[in-house]
Amino acid sequence: MFYALLIIIAVLALLAVSLYNRLVRLRNNRENAFADIDVQLKQRLDLIPQLVEAVKAYMKHESTVLTDITKARASAIEAKGIDEKIAADGKLSSALQGLRVAVEAYPDLKASTNFIQLQEEISDIENKLAAARRFFNSATKELNNAVETFPSNLLAGMFGFKRETMYDLAESRAQAEETPKLNF
Amino acid sequence: MKYIGLSRQIWNNNIKSVVLLILFPIVILGLVWLFVFLMQPLNDYRIERANQLFIMSVPWVVAGVGLWFVIAWFSHTGMIERATGSAPLSRKENKRIYNLVENLCISVGMPMPKVNVINDDSLNAFASGISTNTFTVSLSRGIIEKLNDEELESVIAHELTHIRNRDVRLLIVSIIFVGIFAFLTEALVRTVRFSGGGSGRKDGRAVAVALMLAAVGYFLSSIFRFAISRQREYMADAGSATMTKNPLALASALEKISVDSQIEAVRRNDIAQMFIDNPQDKKVRPVSFSIGALFMTHPPIEKRIALLRQF
Repeated sequence: MFYALLIIIAVLALLAVSLYNRLVRLRNNRENAFADIDVQLKQRLDLIPQLVEAVKAYMKHESTVLTDITKARASAIEAKGIDEKIAADGKLSSALQGLRVAVEAYPDLKASTNFIQLQEEISDIENKLAAARRFFNSATKELNNAVETFPSNLLAGMFGFKRETMYDLAESRAQAEETPKLNF
Repeated sequence: MKYIGLSRQIWNNNIKSVVLLILFPIVILGLVWLFVFLMQPLNDYRIERANQLFIMSVPWVVAGVGLWFVIAWFSHTGMIERATGSAPLSRKENKRIYNLVENLCISVGMPMPKVNVINDDSLNAFASGISTNTFTVSLSRGIIEKLNDEELESVIAHELTHIRNRDVRLLIVSIIFVGIFAFLTEALVRTVRFSGGGSGRKDGRAVAVALMLAAVGYFLSSIFRFAISRQREYMADAGSATMTKNPLALASALEKISVDSQIEAVRRNDIAQMFIDNPQDKKVRPVSFSIGALFMTHPPIEKRIALLRQF
């Protein structure tokens, strides 16, 4: 009887350890996934000054679009932690979207090889960003599932694992749609 | 035929793979025992004597198979490249392919494999390798030129799924095992042909029995191999569909591929089974449907397309 009890306790302890390890693994996975995003975000930040320079020469009247971008870039560089970075990236994306709309009015700019090349590089990075985001979201979903389903939710509560945010494009897209402010 | 859940399918196939891999050595050892048993004179101690001899021969057999295995394990990359005539593709040469492969890899968080190009106009592709350093996706020049971005992406995703599921490693392991039997059979056939009767009846009988057993082993291991590879094509198709969220692109890619998938340089059956479509299956089919189906490495392409359409 005593041994049976002992065995049951040992089995439960083993189960708890493996569940805890799984939670830790999933959280690390999510952080790793964000590191992939971070690489692409940094590359995009590095390209923006060049883009602004290239555009400046042609776009004399729309400095607000450019200052928006510069400001968004500055706050993106400052951003710390996953949630802040996600928010900053949303703002930067919508600022860039604003530029894309504004550029439509400048055929010379659109035709310049320098600008085309930069545009290509940026859209390349944005494709990679989208891919990295998909991976990040699936890692986040896996973590959230583990945090909220029985029996791992018991341990999650005890050790401070919580539901994490997805990398949602809905917000930044909504911003992007209202952004185009063209001052002619 | 309907799709069952992907994770369950992966689980099923992993179990099967492990079983098959355990079966290979058992078949080898079983045949060795049978050989020793058949070589004993008929008397009451036959089984005991056979067991004794068998136990004595086990270390030698295991060492021999192990040595073969190690050599093949380390030299297969070069052998496959030579057999298919493929060469590495650099990023500068083809940015389009690199972007497709890299983006797919990022989206599932896997390290990027090498990319090779097979210098051939027909449409085909395969994955190979046994570890992160050697994983390779090979695409024919024809498939790069004739498919659009979406279709090519789905084909690459199919090959990446083979890598993620570790199909390629298993396939290479099984190719190595089958190779052992093929080698033994061939070696014995030559011995029979060139020894010319010669040294007494017992030797003759030994060779004949060994030849028969090697043939049985070759036959069995071939069936294992085909079972492994066919299951996996459906899984890789499903994996591609979940990676790209676009099963119809793979369906239309398969349609285009089925028209001309014969890589002219590749004559060897064991290499041909690695491709996304194995045209040599089609030659087998008309002979006898059931036997043909047993030896096909890939499911019929029409069946795969139909499954993708209902995904």
